[in-house]
Amino acid sequence: MIDEEKLEILVEGAKYDVSCSSSGSRRTNVKGGIGNGAVSGICHSFTPDGRCISLLKILMSNDCIYDCEYCPNKRSADVRRARLTPDEVCELVINFYKRNYIEGLFLSSAVFDSPDKTMELLYETVLKLRKVYNFNGYIHLKGIPHADSAIVMKAARLADRMSYNIELPSEQSLKLLAPQKTKQSLLLPMKGLNGAIEYDKQNKVRRGKVLPAGQTTQMIIGASPESDGQILRLTEALYNNMKLKRVYYSSYVPVVKSNKLPTVGAGLLREHRLYQADWLIRFYGFNVSEICEEGENLSPEYDPKCAWALRNMHLFPVEINTAPLEMLLRVPGIGAKSAYRITETRRFCALDFDNLAKMRIVLKRAKHFITCKGKFYGSDSYTQVKCSLMLAAGGANEQLSMFSETSTAVSALTGEL
Amino acid sequence: MKIFVTDGTVTAFFTAVFDAYREKNCVITSDTRVQLSFDSEVIHVVGEREKNKRVQNAVYKCDRQAVDDIVLALRSGDPSKEQTAFEYLKKLLEIKSPISKMLSLPQVIDFNETVRRVTLEAHRLKGLLRFMESREGVLYAPYSPDNDITDLLMPHFAARYNSERFVIHDVKRKIAGMYDGHEWITGYAGEAEIYLSEYEQAFKNLWKKYYNSVNIKERPHIKQMKGYMPVRYWKFLPEKNGK
Ligand code: SF4
Repeated sequence: MIDEEKLEILVEGAKYDVSCSSSGSRRTNVKGGIGNGAVSGICHSFTPDGRCISLLKILMSNDCIYDCEYCPNKRSADVRRARLTPDEVCELVINFYKRNYIEGLFLSSAVFDSPDKTMELLYETVLKLRKVYNFNGYIHLKGIPHADSAIVMKAARLADRMSYNIELPSEQSLKLLAPQKTKQSLLLPMKGLNGAIEYDKQNKVRRGKVLPAGQTTQMIIGASPESDGQILRLTEALYNNMKLKRVYYSSYVPVVKSNKLPTVGAGLLREHRLYQADWLIRFYGFNVSEICEEGENLSPEYDPKCAWALRNMHLFPVEINTAPLEMLLRVPGIGAKSAYRITETRRFCALDFDNLAKMRIVLKRAKHFITCKGKFYGSDSYTQVKCSLMLAAGGANEQLSMFSETSTAVSALTGEL
Repeated sequence: MKIFVTDGTVTAFFTAVFDAYREKNCVITSDTRVQLSFDSEVIHVVGEREKNKRVQNAVYKCDRQAVDDIVLALRSGDPSKEQTAFEYLKKLLEIKSPISKMLSLPQVIDFNETVRRVTLEAHRLKGLLRFMESREGVLYAPYSPDNDITDLLMPHFAARYNSERFVIHDVKRKIAGMYDGHEWITGYAGEAEIYLSEYEQAFKNLWKKYYNSVNIKERPHIKQMKGYMPVRYWKFLPEKNGK
């Protein structure tokens, strides 16, 4: 059994990776095996920072030969080092899983010895977990840049999800802050994996599919000068070209001192706004160009949907009883669930303002953008609307209410609007 | 006013509906602590197979999903759950086609909310339930949910731990679900005596270490943590109860 200090070192090194979701895999258990995947994802605990614990997030080793500027595990850092054996990881996973502490494993690693060696050991661990320990729960593997693509592919046949982290939103920043990683060393494997996933899809492969829960990536926000507009354009390209399931944003926390890095963190609000914009792109049919100009940042005062609506007041108000679903989704304050409930309910009767209130649809913001049976309850004054939008969404306090519908809260990081 | 008091079973509920359906002013409840007013008349309902079946059939004819939903609502810990289900059922029989999406009806809103709370808690507990391992290798999870959800959790864990033996124990209702590696049953269970595996405390400690290490201290957000993981569940969480 591993000792607590080793665990602490290897968890401390992994915790800034934000992808915690365990959803999207329907892996079924086999007789004599342990574990399965839940499509909707399950949170097993929440830490005092408000994040969900779903996976055991741990590094195989924190002993790195690379020297990424922002990383506490970089070669030049003077920190405690530790490494696990595949069996140590397996034992921990199985015992945590049996007690229902976790939904699965998120295994990552610093690059020790060489990229191939590191990837090889990650693969060996996953192979053992699946074949020797008969584990059928969720496994998310971090991809190691520059590792042999054949090993990567073997690992991808056993894992549910893999991620190559983009880390920094531009090539220049990568050069400056993560000199051993290149854009190509991150994008090529992503492309290769996407090719394999697409192949399985086209050929209707059922057993032993490559990465049933797809690929994700992560970017550090605020360690380098890129604007939100640039970041979101990169995001959109990754969704379109690499078919990523999620792009995660991690606002920079200054844990390492360096003159190449800012001394203050990027703050949660910026990260939150990016998730909201990301949500609009993925689910509400927005284009990046509607949300944010290339060189600009998202507005801190309003969420990106409000900001868009304020720029497009000529499209409002819309009649709640006749507006198409796509338009309802664009009304500030009306989320996917509310929009769906409205379209379902209005089939039976025309809705008035009272009905909406009884359906628990929050109207504080929405009332300025809708009519109910032709009646308008909002304000005609643009400044009044702006003011009430700002008050309804109160900066940092807004976060809990954004996420307060726990029934859908698979991850605290969705940015649902 | 007539008060129909059931024993909390599904059969008794539908039987009570049969008897109460034509009454103008009445209440169905399984809560024996109901407040009686001076003009109330208490009627104890015993489940009857025939009445149960007839009401269920009538409901099924209006909406195939409704019986299942009502059974879910009856798992609620809310003392007025029978009345909520009764109001919903009456409305359904009046309209004679599915009403679950008619969100302008207060009966539907209340009923859906009751069902939602039950399914929400079941979903939450799939994550928050904690097992410990006994000396014999049986996994044991005591808990105290708001709603009667043990039957809802059993299939999930039976699929997940299909070659383990485990017990999920609702210590408040004294109900246990047991899985022997092949099939599961639920039944009465008062006290449970358990001898823990010699590794149990060590894994608990590793888990607590994990919990504390993975937290980012610079970014406290206690309110959000408590929103997702209400304090009433902490008693059984090793990372929260200090054991
Ligand atoms: S590769 Fe870079 S980011 Fe990853 S552990 Fe090594 S130094 Fe840190």
